Amino acid sequence: MLKRTNYLSHSYDKPDGHTLAAYEQAGGYRSARKVLSTLSREQVVDEVKKAHIRGRGGAGFDCGMKWSFMPKESKKPHYLVVNADEGEPGTFKDRTIMERNPHALIEGCIIGCYGVGAHAAYIYVRDELHLSKARLWAAIEEARAKGYLGKNPFGKNYEVEVYVHTGAGAYICGEETALLNSLEGRRGEPRLKPPFPAQVGAFGCPTTVNNVETIAIVPSIFQVGGDEFSKLSALHEWNDGGVRLFGVSGHVKKPGIYECAVGLTLRELIYDLGGGIIDDRPLLGVIPGGSSCPVHLPDEIVDVPNDPRFAPYNGKSVLDLPMGVDTLRGVGGMLGTCCAIVMSDAADPVLALHNLMRFYRHESCGQCTPCREGCGWIERILDKVIEGRGSIEELNELHEIASNITGNTICAFGDGAAQPALSFVRKYRKQLEDYILRGGQSQTRTLEA
Amino acid sequence: MPTFKLDDRDIEFQPGDTIIQAAHRAGVDIPHYCWHPGLSVAANCRMCLVELGPPPGRGPLLLDVLRYDAKTGEYVKTKKPKLVPACQQPLTEGMEVKSQTSEHVAEARAAVQELLLLNHPVDCPICDQAGECRLQDYWLSHGANKKRMRDEIVHKPKAVSFGPTIVYDAERCIVCTRCVRFCDEVVGDHVLDKRERGNLSEIVLAPGRQLDHAYTLMTEYVCPVGALTAKDFRFKARVWFLRSVRSVCVGCATGCNSYTDFDPRNQTVYRYRPRDNERVNKFWMCDEGMLDYRRIHTGRVLAAQAGGKQVAVDAGLDAAADACRKIDPNTSAVVLSAQHSNEDNFALLQLAQRLGVTRLFLSGRPEGEGDDILRSEDKNPNRTGVIGLCGLQTPGSFKDFAALAEQGNLRTVLALGSDAELPDRASALSKIESLVTIATHQGPFVKAARVVLPASSWAECDGTFVNRDGIAQLSERAVRPQGQSQPAWKLVAGLASRLGHDLGYKRVADVQAALAPQERSGAAVQEAGATA
Repeated sequence: MLKRTNYLSHSYDKPDGHTLAAYEQAGGYRSARKVLSTLSREQVVDEVKKAHIRGRGGAGFDCGMKWSFMPKESKKPHYLVVNADEGEPGTFKDRTIMERNPHALIEGCIIGCYGVGAHAAYIYVRDELHLSKARLWAAIEEARAKGYLGKNPFGKNYEVEVYVHTGAGAYICGEETALLNSLEGRRGEPRLKPPFPAQVGAFGCPTTVNNVETIAIVPSIFQVGGDEFSKLSALHEWNDGGVRLFGVSGHVKKPGIYECAVGLTLRELIYDLGGGIIDDRPLLGVIPGGSSCPVHLPDEIVDVPNDPRFAPYNGKSVLDLPMGVDTLRGVGGMLGTCCAIVMSDAADPVLALHNLMRFYRHESCGQCTPCREGCGWIERILDKVIEGRGSIEELNELHEIASNITGNTICAFGDGAAQPALSFVRKYRKQLEDYILRGGQSQTRTLEA
Repeated sequence: MPTFKLDDRDIEFQPGDTIIQAAHRAGVDIPHYCWHPGLSVAANCRMCLVELGPPPGRGPLLLDVLRYDAKTGEYVKTKKPKLVPACQQPLTEGMEVKSQTSEHVAEARAAVQELLLLNHPVDCPICDQAGECRLQDYWLSHGANKKRMRDEIVHKPKAVSFGPTIVYDAERCIVCTRCVRFCDEVVGDHVLDKRERGNLSEIVLAPGRQLDHAYTLMTEYVCPVGALTAKDFRFKARVWFLRSVRSVCVGCATGCNSYTDFDPRNQTVYRYRPRDNERVNKFWMCDEGMLDYRRIHTGRVLAAQAGGKQVAVDAGLDAAADACRKIDPNTSAVVLSAQHSNEDNFALLQLAQRLGVTRLFLSGRPEGEGDDILRSEDKNPNRTGVIGLCGLQTPGSFKDFAALAEQGNLRTVLALGSDAELPDRASALSKIESLVTIATHQGPFVKAARVVLPASSWAECDGTFVNRDGIAQLSERAVRPQGQSQPAWKLVAGLASRLGHDLGYKRVADVQAALAPQERSGAAVQEAGATA
C-alpha cells in the first residue's frame, strides 16, 4: 500500500529546512515540550510502545520495548546512544535526516533521554558524513541557545545534553556494542552479550542504543499519539507501525529516499517511487534493505502455509508482499534498513556478489575465527571465479563456508556476511557456473564499466 | 551441588560457572584456544561451541543454512540450531549440553579448525610449538582433512622480535588474544594489542615499547600455537624428545610449581614450564624463575677439591673428615643453606648434633626484586623450611656469621651451599682456618674452602622446599647427578660415617622418613602435583 507521508521529510526540499526556525515553523519541538511538561517517564515509554516502532537500523527490535529494558532506578547514570554510523551498502536514509532535518533527531534525543532516564545522548556519526556532522553541531548550538538543551529544557528541571562523536570509518562500529567500545575509545570490536547494553553499556552504565531514524521519528509519535501513529502503517496488526524512510538505489530511474507508511511493497518502491527500471529492462533481483539481507528474485512466490497472517499473500510474488520486519522474515528474507538495491538484467550478479564479499572481508573486525577467515576465503574463491580461474569444486564450498559462519560468531556481522552469500549462490548458481565453465557475461570483469 | 548434563555425563557445577569451567574442573576437555582458566573470557576462537537443549517449553533457536544436493544439482534450504560458546554460557540446573554427541557441534568445530589453518603456513617442521600445538592436536581430532584452499596464504610479519625474550610470527597467530589478556589482566601492563582487521589482524607492541616486563615468557606459554616462541628455547629441542617431572622453582621463596623438561638422552634440562597450583602460583611463573633452569648447567661444582687440587669424592670426604675431627664447639660453626632442600639441611643438622656443634647459621642468595604478583624479594626457596627444621634454635644470619669470622673466632666451619647473602661481606670467609663446603655452585664459600664437596642440584635429586607461606612442596628429580656430584645429604652421610656416626641414610626416602615428624609439625606438606 503506497501512502506517502512527510513526518520526517516535511522540509527535505526547503533549502533552509535544517534550521531551527524552519523546524519550529513546521511544529517542531512541540512534542518535546509536551512530553517534558506533562508526561512521566513511564507514560513516554508506554506511548512509544503503542506506536510499535520497529528499530530502523536493520534488526527491527521494538523501540518502546528496548526503552523499557532500562533499569527503573540505578546509581549509575543512563545514556542514550544514537547509532549514526550508517555504513550498510545501499543504505543512505539516516544521512538525509541529519543533513536536512537534524532538529528532529535532537528533539527525539530529548524525548529519548527522558524516556530512558538519561541526561546525555551521544550521536555516533560515521566519520565520512561531514555535512551531517556540521548540521548536527549547528542544530545542537541552536537548540542550546534556545534553552531546549541544557539544565532546564522547556522549563523542566531535567538536564539533557547531546554530543556528537565521530567514528573512524569502520563498518563494524555500527554494531551497537562495537559502537560503545569505539565511543569509549577502545578498539571497535563487538562485546560479548549478555550483559546487554541496557545493563552494561557505554562506560559500564545502562545504555540504550537506537538508530537515527528510530529516534528522529519519536517526536512524531507524540504529535499524533502512539496508537494513531501505529495505525498509519498497513502492518499495524503485525505490530509494525508508523512511517519510515524507504530508499531505493541501483538500476531505477528515480533513486532516492521516500517517506511512506510502513507496508509499502517492493513493487511500489521500485516501479512507483523509483520510477521503474532504467531502460525498462527486466528486474533481475532486489536486495530489500542493505547488503546484509538476502536477495529476492522477481519470480519468487510467497509460500508460508502455516502462518494465517500470510494468507492474503500466499501465491503472490514477493514483490507484492508489504515490506515489514516480520513479513520478510517469514519468507526467509530480511527487511533490514528498508533501502533497496535494485538490479536489472544489466547487472552481473556474480560481480555484485564479489563486490559484497570484498566489502565484508574488508570490514570483518577479525575477532571470531569463522567470520575473520571465512569472509576472506569466500572472497578469494569469487576472485578466482571472476578471473576465470574458478572451479565447480570451489563453488560447491561457498555455501558450506557461509553456513558455518552463520550463527557461530559473537555479533550479527557474521550472519550479515553469510546470508547474502547464501542467497546469491542459491539464486544465481547458474550465473556462477556460467562464469566458471564459459567465462561469464562480463567483458570487463568489473562492476564499474 | 547443582548438576548439568554434558553429553551423557552428569557433572556438578558451582553457581556462576560457565560450561567450560565446570567441565574443566571435572577433567573433561572441551576443545578451546582462547579460553584460559586464569584469564577473562574472549569467546573469539569459537572452538568450544556446544549445543544446548532448548529451554523448557520452547523450541530450539534454528538458523537458515544451505546444503547442496549433488545429485539434483539443487541447493536445499535447511536449519541448524544456534550453538553457544561453552566458555561464555553460564550453567543452570539441569542444563543439557552436547559437546561430543552433536553432529552440528562436530561440523562447527571442524569448520573452525579448517578456518584457523586456512592462512596458517603449516611450517610445523621448523616450529618450536610442534608436538604441543593445539592446532595439531585439534586438527587430528576434528576433521583431519586435507587443506581445501590451495592458494597463497595471507602473508604477515614473521620472526618479529617482541623484546629480549619473545619472538612473534603473525602468520602462525590465531589472534586468540590470550597474550594480550595475560599482559593486561595479570601483569597490568598493556604492552600488547591487536592491529588491523579481519584476516589481516595481528598482535603488536605498544608504540615505543618492548615486551619487557617480568612475566614475558608466560605469553609464550599461554599462546596455544606457535605464534609466540621463547628466544631461549627456540630451535634447541623438539618437545617430543623431552620428558617432564613435577618440580618446584627454586628461584625465590614463592615456590612456584613447575615442570622441568629435560632430554633423557643427553641428561640436559631445556626449560621450566608453570604447573597449575591455585594455592601458590595459580597458572603463572616469572621470567626469572622460568630461566632459572639454566643454573642447573652453569657455574656448577662438579668435582671435589682438597688443598687447592681436584680430588676424587672419596678423597674429598676423607679430607673433610680430617678437618672435622678437629672440631671444637667453641670455634666451630655449621652454615645451613636456604637454597637447599629440607633433606640436605636436615642431614647436616643431624651431623652437627652428633659433632656437638651448636652454632648454626643460615645463608643463601642475596635479596632481589620482588612484586605483588609472584616474585619474592627473598631469592631462596627454603628459608622457611630450614628455620622450621632448626626448631627453637633459630640459626644466626650471615651478617652475624661474617662478623664472627672477621674476628678470627672460627676455626672449623662446615657449610652447605656457596652463597653469601651479603656479597660485600664475603671477604670475611678467608679468615676461617678450615672451611668445608658442600656446594652445587661456585661462589664465595667454595672460593674460601679448604675442602669442597660437589653436591647435586635440585634437578638431580628429590627434595622438599617450604615456601614463604609455609607450604612444603616436593620437587622431583629430573636428570642424573652431574659430574662427580652427589646429593648433599649423601655427602653428609658419608662424612658422618667417616667420623664414626651412622646416620642410616642410604636413599632419599630414608632422610624423608627421619624428617617427616619434624616437617609435619612445622608446615603443611603438599605433595607434588597435589592440585591440578
